[in-house]
Amino acid sequence: MNLIYMDHASATPVREQVIKAMVPYFDLQFGNPSAVYDMGFNIKQVIEEQRAHVARLIGAKANEIIFASSGAEANNLAIKGVALAGQKKGKHIIISAIEHHSVLNSARFLERMDFEVTFLPVDEHGLVDPERLAKVIRPETILVSVMHANNEIGTIQAISELSSICREKGVIFHTDAVASVGNIPVDVNVLGVDLLSLSGISLGAPKGTGALYFKKNIRLMPLIHGGIQEMGRRGGTENVPGIVGLGKASELAANEISAKKDQLQKLRELLVSGIQEKIKKVTLTGHPDKRLPGHASFCIEAIEGEALIYMLNQDGIYSNTGSACASKALKTSPVLVAIGVPPDLAQGSVVFTMNNNSVQEVRYVLEKLASAVEKLRSLSPIWREKTA
Amino acid sequence: MKFKEDQPSDETLDLVCRMCPLHLMEPGDRLKCMKKGQVLEVLTDYDGALEDIPEWCRKHGQEFIGLEEDDDCYKLYIKKTK
Amino acid sequence: MYTDKVMDHFSNPRNAGVIENADGIGEVGNPVCGDMMAFYIKVKDDKLDDVKFQTFGCVAAIAVSSIVSEMAKGKSLKEAKLITKKTVTESLDGLPKEKMHCSNLGAEALAKAIKDYETKISE
Repeated sequence: MNLIYMDHASATPVREQVIKAMVPYFDLQFGNPSAVYDMGFNIKQVIEEQRAHVARLIGAKANEIIFASSGAEANNLAIKGVALAGQKKGKHIIISAIEHHSVLNSARFLERMDFEVTFLPVDEHGLVDPERLAKVIRPETILVSVMHANNEIGTIQAISELSSICREKGVIFHTDAVASVGNIPVDVNVLGVDLLSLSGISLGAPKGTGALYFKKNIRLMPLIHGGIQEMGRRGGTENVPGIVGLGKASELAANEISAKKDQLQKLRELLVSGIQEKIKKVTLTGHPDKRLPGHASFCIEAIEGEALIYMLNQDGIYSNTGSACASKALKTSPVLVAIGVPPDLAQGSVVFTMNNNSVQEVRYVLEKLASAVEKLRSLSPIWREKTA
Repeated sequence: MKFKEDQPSDETLDLVCRMCPLHLMEPGDRLKCMKKGQVLEVLTDYDGALEDIPEWCRKHGQEFIGLEEDDDCYKLYIKKTK
Repeated sequence: MYTDKVMDHFSNPRNAGVIENADGIGEVGNPVCGDMMAFYIKVKDDKLDDVKFQTFGCVAAIAVSSIVSEMAKGKSLKEAKLITKKTVTESLDGLPKEKMHCSNLGAEALAKAIKDYETKISE
């Protein structure tokens, strides 16, 4: 049985060119980049080249990039780093109600340190209202964080509108772009952001890689104190193979991204229209158009997401339910609650995130999904109530 | 310790939250890109810098003008003399 | 995450469905929590002549319902009452810890169905 992988929001395969680029840095070029002899110096140069590749992918300058161990670390560094560095100015931060756990829990951590956090509600498509943001900014607000694209519902936020409000009021703006970088063109100047997090897992780079873009004038309290690595903003010997992998993947992505978008959008349209045609009582979650090109997410009435994922798994289809990182938690997805999906319907959440998938694969998924839903509904007492 | 108020400067280097020895590395790099006679303002919250930067200036032949205490950091002023 | 036994019952649920004119019906859970089960029983000579279930829920919830129906079918009411969360879990060769509370509702639903039957005949 062929495997059909439609969970690219959770991880992407590391590309062959990326692996090839990384290999020498495990053994031949193993030295510590801080060492002053030739091998150390050369590796240091290589790291700086990768920094430039990552910067180019998002329209930044090389010295505005800090390498991190994941998108989650980049988010932690942005939220805690800015808040701890700026707390004398004020102790109020604003985040949207649909942030990833790494932003949400960083904010919750700050709450314990006497910061005040405002959670911005979103509309039924998951969009933050710019006027609402303008209203909740106070003189003591030091940071606003709104994610670029949501991993669970695919909605792409109007970041430039939100960031310009913050710029006018002198508030630092961060966006978590883990779900968008690698899937759509992202330019920090167009978005107008002060900080932006990205991750290797969306880019065909290895796990354990990520980066934070920060504007030069932003003060950041390091999370990892140590040596002078990353300009003193993140201690610890650099993950050289990982950085090379992220750099190579960024270089490749920068050249391909526009073409990929159209192809992914076609696949998505096929999947969405097919599901709506074949399956009754199904809701597309997130925004119908302002969404990631390869992202299709649904709530299917009268079934439970995990059971559906397992059933698709038996047909060789890998998909996800709820938040990619929280599918084992038993609680209803906070993102679906925030966009107003009723809790019983939210149980039937399924997310397909495509990348190098084919039309045939989409057709196969449609066929198997329809029969899995039918089977689960035949077991379901609430489906009987609904149809009775 | 020389204190200076309202010292004008040509460029600012913000090292707040940055640990030792960044306060000894970055001013040198920045001065290289500046013109003779220009003044660099260095912001830092590290009190070790109060001794280190004047000493560094002596060693490297740059002029330490003085410092000012701000709300959340120290401002140190270096004039590029060579 | 799940044992082979759990996956077997999930993939091929035994006794799924509804008994029209059931002698007893037991419902537990609700869709908001993510798990809901309904058990239907037919009683003959104090024995569970037929048992069927419907379940809205995760893999564990479906497997639990299936195995409870299998364990109960043909048993006397007295024996069927001895089915507990613990014996269900053992029969499935174990369940993940986080699934023990919310999804292991089968024994409870069956007990409720038996009680429903007993209340009806005593009236």
